[in-house]
Amino acid sequence: MSGLPGFVAAWGRALRAVAYAPLTPPERTTLLAGLAERLAGALAAPAFDPAAGYWVGTDLVAAGYAAPEALGRTLTVLRTRLPGALGGEVPQERVTALVESLAAGFAAAVHERSLDAQESIRLAALTARDRAERKLRESEARIRHLVTHDPLTGLPNRAALAGLLAAAGDRVGLCCIDLDRFAGVNDSLGPGVGDRLLGAAADRLRALVAAGGHRLLRLDGDQFAILLADTAGSEDAIKMADRALAVLAEPFHVDGTEVPLTASAGVVERPAGGEPAELIRAAHIALHWAKADGRGCWRLFDDARSTADAARYRLSAAIPAGLRRGEFTLDYQPLVALTGGAARVTGAEALARWRHPVEGRLGADRFIGLAQDAGLIVPLGDHLLELACQQAAGWRTPDGTDPPHVNVNLAAPQVYRAGLAGLVAQILDRTGLPPHRLHLEITEYALIEPTREVLANLRALGALGVRVVVDDFGTGYSNLACLRTLPLHGIKLAAALVGPPAAAASDRAFLATVVALGHTLGLTVTAEGIETAEQAERMREAGCDVGQGYYFGRPLSSDRIARRIAAPLPRRSWTDDAGSTAESAL
Amino acid sequence: MDRPDWAPEGIDLTRPSVARAYDYWLGGSHNFAIDRDWARQVLAAVPDLRLMAQANRAFLHRAVRFMVDQGVRQFLDIGSGIPTVGNVHEIAQRAAPGSRVVYVDIDPVAVAHSEQILKGEPGAAVIMADLRQPSAVLTHRATRALLDFDRPVGLLLCSVLHAIPDADDPYGMVRELVKPLPPGSYVAISHGTLDDLVEEADEMTELAGRTTTPITGRPRAEVERFFAGLELVEPGLVWSVLWRPEEPDETFERPGRSGFYAGVARVPG
Repeated sequence: MSGLPGFVAAWGRALRAVAYAPLTPPERTTLLAGLAERLAGALAAPAFDPAAGYWVGTDLVAAGYAAPEALGRTLTVLRTRLPGALGGEVPQERVTALVESLAAGFAAAVHERSLDAQESIRLAALTARDRAERKLRESEARIRHLVTHDPLTGLPNRAALAGLLAAAGDRVGLCCIDLDRFAGVNDSLGPGVGDRLLGAAADRLRALVAAGGHRLLRLDGDQFAILLADTAGSEDAIKMADRALAVLAEPFHVDGTEVPLTASAGVVERPAGGEPAELIRAAHIALHWAKADGRGCWRLFDDARSTADAARYRLSAAIPAGLRRGEFTLDYQPLVALTGGAARVTGAEALARWRHPVEGRLGADRFIGLAQDAGLIVPLGDHLLELACQQAAGWRTPDGTDPPHVNVNLAAPQVYRAGLAGLVAQILDRTGLPPHRLHLEITEYALIEPTREVLANLRALGALGVRVVVDDFGTGYSNLACLRTLPLHGIKLAAALVGPPAAAASDRAFLATVVALGHTLGLTVTAEGIETAEQAERMREAGCDVGQGYYFGRPLSSDRIARRIAAPLPRRSWTDDAGSTAESAL
Repeated sequence: MDRPDWAPEGIDLTRPSVARAYDYWLGGSHNFAIDRDWARQVLAAVPDLRLMAQANRAFLHRAVRFMVDQGVRQFLDIGSGIPTVGNVHEIAQRAAPGSRVVYVDIDPVAVAHSEQILKGEPGAAVIMADLRQPSAVLTHRATRALLDFDRPVGLLLCSVLHAIPDADDPYGMVRELVKPLPPGSYVAISHGTLDDLVEEADEMTELAGRTTTPITGRPRAEVERFFAGLELVEPGLVWSVLWRPEEPDETFERPGRSGFYAGVARVPG
């Protein structure tokens, strides 16, 4: 092959495999033939312009022949083969200039190409990194959504509250709404129904809340919360709670079943900026009040009430430690015989006291109820029973006669407990108190419907020789049948029966009838709450056997009651004794 | 894979990428220093690597042109990498205008780069997906939009299967990818091997372990298994430079130094 086609073939062979270009051999031949024509044209031109070589160099690179070897071999082929292919009449300096120009064009194109490629790969890396970061953020957002939303209703959950509060304005309201007895729905109709009911309830609340621009959250299984932003006062939050309870009170229809529902709400409204947990806690406390007040209603959180609740709770929680440290003690209020001449102390009622290390001396009304609620009344009652027996066993009269009996109150759980008599027997045994000197006061409430245990306990106590007295008789649920059949020894008339100073004739008749009833059944009748001589006289006239009250003496410490019992008998009648009680009342 | 679909892909520019090193071996500049460092170390161990890469790339192009000659107008190129010079869609469209190509790669940078190149190119798309999840590739929106599985498809698995260790069942992946291809479709596979690189084998294996995608070179019989159930076209599974060469090859003293087995097979039916 000779002439230009021969040069093109040699060029093609030189370029083969020195660089990668995606050209088929025919494509390559076409490309190189075109470039060779341009080179030949330049060399033969009347006015020589070496720039033609430059553009051939750039086109070579553009076609993919960008490797250094491609340039080297191209230059060699050009120098050695091109002049010959053109007939040998080409000036050497033109060839040299053309070759230099081609090399310059080639190098410049490779440079440009590298810069472009570097830029594009950097851009790709940036894009990829951006994309990875965006995906990371999206997945974070998705996780955040999962964490802050309830999957069943799609509502924000407790974890979302902090974020919502941050944008809620100067004052916020929170209505914590709890479906009443929802567990019952799930248990009886199945959890599927429960879920649909929750969804339906959520839909109603959502519609209600959306109208006011407020936010609905699902705090817990059957608990929703409405967050009100920028409230003007508690009235706003209360109105919302009221409306929420109203929309939930409309019967629901789930799976063709009508499911009636009520809800309770705890409402709190306060300046924004507090801890979200604190806000929820306040709403929960108010919700607890609403539940305790019979459900189906709302209650507004109130700091004072909450503080009182908290104080009660703290006190209740301190009872076990108080028991361990012996902080519970007894005072004794004298029981005085109304019959006979002298104001004879026949007994004393033990009254529980708590020497609280911080609160000071607390009366029974401050902690007996708490102990009952906390389930601590039995250990406390047992402790006080033993203490009373122990102290009463030490009483001595001046003349060596039988000392007065001690009245000890038993709480209903103690009376219901099997084996009460056995416990009492052990205590009497340990303390040495004769059984007949122990009078146990039980409320008539415990006797409304005496259980087998109660009956067994009372009979066993009777057999033991311990006396049982019904306290607060005449105020509540007196079961006359019980009075007749149970082994009882006395009744204590409620203070209300002692009545006002100027009692009506009918009251006097009623009192007389009750006393007569007691006597008919062979029971001792005690009147408590006697504060004046007039009351004392009236009770004596009515036939009461024993009196108790400030008029006869305030509660005394165990030392002082022991001293009073040990003191020589007063010479005066009980009606004259009243003056001396004031000083002993402390 | 346990990774939920919304969990982000990692992008690690501190480790060399085979896709970018391959671009370097082909003479491209779409790579970073970290890639070039590694690519030069491999070159020191295997001086022929540039030529191997070029030969492999040339096989891909010949295979595409062959498929176009057989009437194939749509291609699925898995493991497409950094498409430097001579992308499949350019080759195919030059041979048959209107040809469509879906590129698939797992390297986020390669995918982002392909997107730049394919901007304004309606006949081609790139998706980021893992060969290990063939169904994700086949059901991808772009795949569905561009490829018609009622008509022959050219499945290109060039220099990619050696990135899948046996434990991940690469044969199962190929079976799954081939399953939806109608009769008359073609499958091109090129696969790295150490069969004729005995001296370099250890160093190659060690160097491959440093990249984001370690390499499993397979002996001939194992590469041939990828074509099970398919009809290999002439000349069968051969060294890449020997597959339907367009001009005599003078670059390798012996063809085995090309380091790649290559073959094209037809989906029967």
